[in-house]
Amino acid sequence: MINLPISIDAIIPEITLACGAMFLLIIGALSKRIITNTLSYAAVLLLIFTFFLLVSLNWDTSISMNGFFVMDSFAGLIKSAVLLSMAGVLALSTGYMKREEIVAFEYPILVLLSTLGMMVMVSANDLLSLYIGLELQSLALYVLATIRRNSLRSAEAGIKYFVLGALSSGMILFGSSIIYGFAGTTNFTAIAEAFSANPDMKLGLSMGLVFLLSGLAFKISAAPFHMWTPDVYEGAPTSVTALFAIVPKLAALALMMRIFCEPFMGLQDMWVQILWVLSVASMLVGAFAALTQENIKRLLAYSSIGNVGYALIGIIVGGTGGLGATLYYFLIYMAMTAGTFGIIMSLRREGASLEKIESLEGMSKTHPVQAYVLAILMFSMSGIPPMAGFFGKLFIFESAIAGGYIYLAVLGVVSSVVAAYYYLRIIKVMFFDEQVEELQYETNVPRDAVIIVSILIITGLVLMPEPLLIMTQNATASLF
Amino acid sequence: MLEYYTFFGLSIPVFLVGIGVLIGALLLSVAYLTYFERKVLGAMQRRQGPMTVGPLGLLQPIADGLKLFSKETIIPSAAHRAVFLIAPMLLFMLALIAWAVIPVGAQMVLSNINVGILYLFAVSSMGVYGVIMAGWASNSRYAFLGAMRSASQMVSYEVSMGLIIVSVLLVCGSLNLSEIVLAERPWFAQILLIPMFVVFLVSILAETNRAPFDLPEGESELSGGFMVEYSSMTFALFFLGEYANMILMSGMTVVLFMGGWLAPLPLEAFEYVPGIVWFVLKTTLVLFFFIWARATFPRYRYDQLMRLGWKVFLPFTLGWIVLMSGTLLAFDALP
Amino acid sequence: MLAALIFYLFAGILSLSALMVITARNPVHSVLFLILAFFNAAGLFVMLGAEFIGMLLVIVYVGAVAVLFLFVVMMLNMEFKELRKGSMRFIPVGLLLGGVLLTELVIVYQTWKINPKVLTETLGDSAAAPEVPLTNTEALGQILYTDYIYIFQGAGMILLVAMIGAIVLTLRERSGLKRQKVADQQKRQASDVLEIKKVTPGTGI
Repeated sequence: MINLPISIDAIIPEITLACGAMFLLIIGALSKRIITNTLSYAAVLLLIFTFFLLVSLNWDTSISMNGFFVMDSFAGLIKSAVLLSMAGVLALSTGYMKREEIVAFEYPILVLLSTLGMMVMVSANDLLSLYIGLELQSLALYVLATIRRNSLRSAEAGIKYFVLGALSSGMILFGSSIIYGFAGTTNFTAIAEAFSANPDMKLGLSMGLVFLLSGLAFKISAAPFHMWTPDVYEGAPTSVTALFAIVPKLAALALMMRIFCEPFMGLQDMWVQILWVLSVASMLVGAFAALTQENIKRLLAYSSIGNVGYALIGIIVGGTGGLGATLYYFLIYMAMTAGTFGIIMSLRREGASLEKIESLEGMSKTHPVQAYVLAILMFSMSGIPPMAGFFGKLFIFESAIAGGYIYLAVLGVVSSVVAAYYYLRIIKVMFFDEQVEELQYETNVPRDAVIIVSILIITGLVLMPEPLLIMTQNATASLF
Repeated sequence: MLEYYTFFGLSIPVFLVGIGVLIGALLLSVAYLTYFERKVLGAMQRRQGPMTVGPLGLLQPIADGLKLFSKETIIPSAAHRAVFLIAPMLLFMLALIAWAVIPVGAQMVLSNINVGILYLFAVSSMGVYGVIMAGWASNSRYAFLGAMRSASQMVSYEVSMGLIIVSVLLVCGSLNLSEIVLAERPWFAQILLIPMFVVFLVSILAETNRAPFDLPEGESELSGGFMVEYSSMTFALFFLGEYANMILMSGMTVVLFMGGWLAPLPLEAFEYVPGIVWFVLKTTLVLFFFIWARATFPRYRYDQLMRLGWKVFLPFTLGWIVLMSGTLLAFDALP
Repeated sequence: MLAALIFYLFAGILSLSALMVITARNPVHSVLFLILAFFNAAGLFVMLGAEFIGMLLVIVYVGAVAVLFLFVVMMLNMEFKELRKGSMRFIPVGLLLGGVLLTELVIVYQTWKINPKVLTETLGDSAAAPEVPLTNTEALGQILYTDYIYIFQGAGMILLVAMIGAIVLTLRERSGLKRQKVADQQKRQASDVLEIKKVTPGTGI
């Protein structure tokens, strides 16, 4: 055994992922044939293997890598969710990429590297590692958005995403530099200590935090920093849109929770105001702007903006109750979105992929099973009582009321009622409109498996909603 | 506080005189380098070279200089005037300021800074701007094509040059040029450095746009490349700059690989020869290589040039660095 | 005295050329001023005693990055006047926002003071420093691969992603291209392609 100057035990999953991704990259580059599909399955296996490595680790709070890396049960839970959902997204996309003739073998590798970035983000214990992780994941995502490079819309999506993403990274850096200037350190724990030692640096720290927060709000597409979301979701290939909608926001939300709970806990009165505005704006934008959308991907973009608004409520409330509810809500949202995208990717009309909502007309007659599955997903998304989505919203609003944020809860309920309109409209189109053109459903084993898992999660949580909530609350307890 | 970025212990007059002597010697060497080149080329092609002006044609460079001085400076009407005029000055200036850190003998260096090699590398990497600015400001297609070729060529070869410098640093353990000369190099490191030396020699040909990598000038296709629109003194500055750069690169090679001002063999007779003489002799040897290569090889095709830089030199130097550091580590010879 | 003069020289040229970057009419001139700004910033770094960073700034930014910038700008041949036509409308808004931000920053920076803990830590370190001070390069090397290895490797992964991205988005494999294969050329023997026939006069082959 080699004697290393620092212990690398805690980052073994990250190292495995990085080395695996590089290995697959070399295989892909050296292979004479195009082996995108094989590489995708290998990448799924690698993600699952990394997940098992992660589970086998000790999840007690420990800080390693000279203070840059923290491992605790919060990071463990989020990373597990990221890894599994990334494996799900890759499984969703294999058939789709093949059909759409996107053959770049780099696709699964970029997915792996962005996963690595998210893991670094989730475990960040320093502004430097925060930035490195954030940049690693977003750089890979910029490329993924543009990967169908012959399509003008994909290129436009990529450029928009890249320019605005670079701007937000710049803001994060600027904010970090201000924070460093005042606190004299970039380490989260040390920032908290420095602040409690001299509270008169509050003004400077909050200035830096504002910049940091606006950059992060870009990444989670919270209104009013949401402008890129609909265009990028629409322009990117649907499998990449699914990725955007499902995974990166979880990592960014987890990062926000960590920076609010550790270095900037003392500034709570400051950031709660900002988050309040972000949350309300996102909920309203998500609810009202989606009403007029005809394109399913744009609709889901606005839906994701609205969902980020709900998720932020839990962070505002804070404490294990609030944060746990947010995590719970977002995990369910991820499962629902995965199922929805799975069905959309499977449907085709006259050989082309589905884009318009009205293309779903009369789906209940030709493909009743899929129509009912999508209906369940939509009911759950809109938060109609028996479904899992209802519990997600219920716990969030419950925690808001318990925390004394009555207005937030009321606004949340109002906007989710408005949002229910467009979710239910999809059901109406499927079940009550006459079919004009034929709709084909394409069977693909991994994709159908993801849809089934998603439905199982949603219906399973109906039967017992409590255990997952307890799990998320326990995980967030390690932040305090 | 002051000493490390100003006068290095020298009083101001001495310092200024040092600068003057260095520049004077450099200009003289540039002038006679052209004479040397023509003589060597002549010998290699069984001609006599310059013969008429002065004994053995020794006054030829001076006559050439006077001729260039007396010509009219033409500035094309569509040229970007300021940039057009700055470009040749920049190129020439860069070739001169790099000499500040080169030790021509023991203690004979204007500024003995501790990142000397980086400074040298930085200055040589800036040379590309003179070329690009000239090509763009001339507002001529030939000039622009030449500038583009030159820029991509210099940027490409800088990468492998940087890696070669790293390999020398691995052995010497210092960024200071005098310390690099004086550092003790284990015999196996010497042997490992030989391939790097060869790659370096080829790279400096590309870096100075000399034959067989003189595509930026390519008189047969670009009629002179980036300096096609220049005449008289502006042209003379480019010309001087190019030759000064050659001498600079030769000096750099001597410092990095050939032991600088030290005597080549530990003979007692050599002890009495001043270090600067050895330095000049070694530099002349490398300069002879420049001219030799020009007389021997036909010009490379552009894609071959890029292939050599990126697909041969870069992977090779990268791999060789890994090998060298591994060997040094294994023999516990890291400085 | 002299140090102050040199400082003001570098700083003055730096600020002036930074100003020229955004006001120059010709985009190529903008880039050239940007290079001048980089160069002067490197000078300031050297004055601070951070000569390694200064030289690196020149080598990496001036020597490589800005060359490519200049390339792109020269090749595009943009008409910036066209692009700038509409931008005058936004100047009041921009000035307002900039003014608000500047005021805020000024107010914030007035409360700034060096964190005393940082002061004691750095001073404490220098008191225990070895007799011969480390050079920049050694000091960086000692922490870059030990304390900061995690960040260093992370940055490496980012560069890898950037490289993959550049290749994915630009490399187009064209079929039917004729390429020179040096090895094949070398392998070719005269006997493979050349046949020597003895031809007797008057008969033909």
